[in-house]
Amino acid sequence: MRLGHVIGKVTLSQQDPAYKGGRFLLVQPLDKAKYQGAAMTPLAKGMSLVVYDNLGAGQGHVIGFTEGAEATAPFDNPTPVDAFNAALIDQIFYNPPAAK
Amino acid sequence: MILARVDGVVVTTICHPSMVGCRSIICQPLDENGKEEGTPILAIDPLSAGLHERVLVSTDGSHTRDHVGDPKSPLRNMIMAIVDKEEASV
Repeated sequence: MRLGHVIGKVTLSQQDPAYKGGRFLLVQPLDKAKYQGAAMTPLAKGMSLVVYDNLGAGQGHVIGFTEGAEATAPFDNPTPVDAFNAALIDQIFYNPPAAK
Repeated sequence: MILARVDGVVVTTICHPSMVGCRSIICQPLDENGKEEGTPILAIDPLSAGLHERVLVSTDGSHTRDHVGDPKSPLRNMIMAIVDKEEASV
């Protein structure tokens, strides 16, 4: 699971029937600076991905999403999903040891 | 398995039901001589590892699903062991 910052929403017009009722977020994974509390500004050059969401994350939320085979686990019938939003993050306590 | 260092904790209330009650911690993967490698990842922690401890993180989703007892859980990373001592013997 990785942390990501929600920077937008994706609405589909034509979609696979397995996605009925699905909600998609545009998410940018956090780099190390943002873990330490740097501003959550979307990086122009950052890599962003689309995450399936049923927890109701909005713009600006930090979410924990999983990728790969585990992203398809919560679905009853097999759906083509690459990333699944598993948690809305309330607080991040992050203090790495001082760089030696 | 990934050798990682525990760098922090994450608090979440709205999450997948299989995550409720699990302690989710931030792990920083380390390379063989202990330097940081890549960005931190999240893992659930049944062993309650302390801060800055080195742990082994398993990325086997099926074992994690058995552990949390929910075959539909999206969880993957889980702490398998807390490292006491490591030697890079060539």
